Amino acid sequence: MSTFIARRLLLLPFVAVGVTLLIFSLTQLLTPAMRASLYITDPKQLNALPDIIRKYHLDQPVYVQYWEWLRQVLHGDLGWSETAREPVAIAIAGYFPATFELALYSFACILTLGIWLGTLSAVRKDQLVDHISRFTSISGASLPTFVWGLLLLMIFYGHFGWFPPGRLGLQADLFVRSSRFHPYTGLMTVDTLLNGQWWLFWDALRHLVLPVATLTYFLTAVLVRITRSSMLETLRADYVRTAEAKGLNQSVVIDKHARRNALIPVITLAGLLFVGLLSGVVITETVFNWPGIGRWGVAASQQLDIPAVTGFALAFAGMLVLGNLCADVLYAVVDPRIRLK
Amino acid sequence: MLAGVVVLVVAVLMFGTGARGAAGPIQNPDSLILLTYGDPESLDPAYAYDTTSDGIFWPGIYETLITYDGSVLSRYVPRLATEVPSVANGLISKDGLTYTFPIRQGVHFHDGTVMTPADVQYSMLRFMLQDRDGGPSWLLLTPLLGTDSTRDSKGAVVVKYADAAKAVTVEGQNVVFHLKRPSAAFLSILAAWSFVLPQKWAAAHGGWDGGAATWAKYNNPKLQDRYEFDHTNGTGPFSLQTWDRQTKELILVRNEHYWRAPAPLARVVIRTVTEFAARRLQLQRGDADVISVDRPDQSQVTGMADVAIQDGLPTLVVQVMHFNQKIDASGNPDVGSGKLDGNGIPPDFFSDVHVRRAFSYAFDYGTFIRDGFRGKALQPNGPIIQGLLGYDPTLPKFTFDKQKATAEFKEAWGGKLWDTGFHFTETYNTGNAARQIGAQIIKDSVESLNPKFKIDVRNIQWSTFLQATVQHKGTLYALGWAADYPDPDDFAQPFLATNGDYPKRNGFSDPRADQMVRQGAETADPAKRTQIYRDLTKLAYEDVPGIFEAQPTQFVVMRSWVRGWYYNAILPPLANVGFDFYTMSKQ
Repeated sequence: MSTFIARRLLLLPFVAVGVTLLIFSLTQLLTPAMRASLYITDPKQLNALPDIIRKYHLDQPVYVQYWEWLRQVLHGDLGWSETAREPVAIAIAGYFPATFELALYSFACILTLGIWLGTLSAVRKDQLVDHISRFTSISGASLPTFVWGLLLLMIFYGHFGWFPPGRLGLQADLFVRSSRFHPYTGLMTVDTLLNGQWWLFWDALRHLVLPVATLTYFLTAVLVRITRSSMLETLRADYVRTAEAKGLNQSVVIDKHARRNALIPVITLAGLLFVGLLSGVVITETVFNWPGIGRWGVAASQQLDIPAVTGFALAFAGMLVLGNLCADVLYAVVDPRIRLK
Repeated sequence: MLAGVVVLVVAVLMFGTGARGAAGPIQNPDSLILLTYGDPESLDPAYAYDTTSDGIFWPGIYETLITYDGSVLSRYVPRLATEVPSVANGLISKDGLTYTFPIRQGVHFHDGTVMTPADVQYSMLRFMLQDRDGGPSWLLLTPLLGTDSTRDSKGAVVVKYADAAKAVTVEGQNVVFHLKRPSAAFLSILAAWSFVLPQKWAAAHGGWDGGAATWAKYNNPKLQDRYEFDHTNGTGPFSLQTWDRQTKELILVRNEHYWRAPAPLARVVIRTVTEFAARRLQLQRGDADVISVDRPDQSQVTGMADVAIQDGLPTLVVQVMHFNQKIDASGNPDVGSGKLDGNGIPPDFFSDVHVRRAFSYAFDYGTFIRDGFRGKALQPNGPIIQGLLGYDPTLPKFTFDKQKATAEFKEAWGGKLWDTGFHFTETYNTGNAARQIGAQIIKDSVESLNPKFKIDVRNIQWSTFLQATVQHKGTLYALGWAADYPDPDDFAQPFLATNGDYPKRNGFSDPRADQMVRQGAETADPAKRTQIYRDLTKLAYEDVPGIFEAQPTQFVVMRSWVRGWYYNAILPPLANVGFDFYTMSKQ
């Protein structure tokens, strides 16, 4: 197991270099003036583009430019974002916790619900519960997120007033901005608990419910279908039939023998889903006025804010690489054949 | 898909479209929550020159020497001065060149320091001398120094500190303004543009110290160069607590040491919420008190329980589609190839008057007014709009005429344009539904004339959009003008004078217009002024600096528990209209 993980970790730097090369080569499609903006970390530099072009060798061969750019990135200088009005690295650090929190809760719900419903559907194939589960998941995936989001907002906020949009209510927001509150992680539900403020925790949770529900409803469908088909295939396998023939309890057969093997494709999908959530769920963030990285990324791309878009792409690529690494490690955990290979 | 539609239909049938409001007790009774879609560019009163920024800090944070008497634009009341100057009380000299303002004593800035006449003088000098490109400094420079810019056309500083210091002097407890020439509009300018901030505070934070030797260094600053960009220190009833640029939220808190009685509201929260549905639902639930609503969306808030709409408010606002005649093409993807080759446009594409006329004829004014403003607007015939001296509805204006547009396009660029075609991107600010409609109308109409004509449409966040236009990056872009003060000079100068706000952004210049704008500003006789502004309207029709699309009426949407709001056409529109938060409360 440790050899497998070490091998994967050793590959990581090569993947990272590949990713930076890819992003850098995309920036080569831009003019030198637009590329120079990647090196601006302060608005005072905006008038000094010719100097920056010289300083960072933007008129030099591509490999020189790549090295200069990489050096800058490794120092944490991702340029100045006109959209956020601050350095890109600071903007990413500022926007990321809100998205991470939303992704984390959504992912937990998607995973739990998806695997549970998928398993249930497979075990009770063609029974009522299977039909309901498939109907629900298909209906979730069949309408765009903004329709579901607005619908949930209209019903559970507009009508009942239970779950408001935004990240915090007014009183909670004022408290969080006061000196009485210490932000430890940027995750509101965690920080409010660490500060011992239960009412704030409840407020943060209320604001999470609808965006999490929207994402869960929308994204669970795929997981249900994958889990169901994978489970159906596994349940037909000889070793499962043998286990049943030996008289094992059905729950043991399903939980210990079938599901574990059926999870392999699910893990692949889950890894990608999580990274997708982390890259920002733009529509959900917009509908619920959630101050996350996705909204900023889209605004930056609309405004041709090149440093922000490049920084966003780098951050996303980094997360994708890490997500895949986690998925690989999880494969090894659930499937000994992969470790042994 | 079918299942989803069924669920949606059932839900909507069960719950309606959410017109049910939050009946019951007032929510957040000491806080006013305002949702808009614009974000401020800067909170520096000598830099900001857009309605969102100005509407946030005036009159809540920064105050002026005098101000308008509620809704009445022709009457003034004292604020940081103790009297409104007039010839009758001797505070305006008989020749109309000297205005004396006795400065109020016992007024404190938000940091607790006492306001002095020296601070007033400093603030006026700072306002004039900072003079950023596309900024408001011309408003004081013109009457006091007789120029509308501190720099010449090449960017060299031409104004002397000594001249500025002589124009605004301190005499005991008075601050005296010495005008270059009589100005009929001077009091109305000061009523909206004489913000006062403390000299020591600014200097202590890296700002100009008020000295003759240092001012040039602070001339024409970049956006975030100044501490005052996101910090404020005024005398007003509210101070800035937070400007969170990530959550796009500003919180103003009540100034408990305000020189008048403290405001009824403890705080004002201004949030940028670009999604209209989210704004509307928060208004419906009572979590927001005032929201921005564009005309096309008005029907969605009409009839909402416990929500009041005041409609038909006359404005001094004009919506314009601007032609940039000197586009900065460096790193600017909106110009495509940057050449007249069918894949882009050259930087001087709009310098050909036939192009400008063609676009003006290709714009469907009636559809724009119907769809963008639900018919509640009129088509102006130039920058001098209804309500201003010199407005004349009988003067000629462009009409939607595809044949004329085609004829003009065929003449453009020596007859080449029709064959080569063009491709560029026009822009407007994110969230503005009317401007989006206008942009789409011109795109559809022009593209229908010739398959070689291609226009893309792109929306940009408000503050970034403003920066782009000031940096000459705009091509054809939609941006309006709201009155700084109720006088035709405030529309003639920004649209037609070489150093005016839009001519500077767009590279427009006509010496005849410069001369007439100057004459209009310096002439006191209303009859003569009327004729000058009529002539300027005709000149604008000839020169076509932009497409003067519409002068809309306005409406405001707020919870019915909001009290104390009054309409003033000069207060910068923050959510459709402007707000004096001091008079407002929730009951």
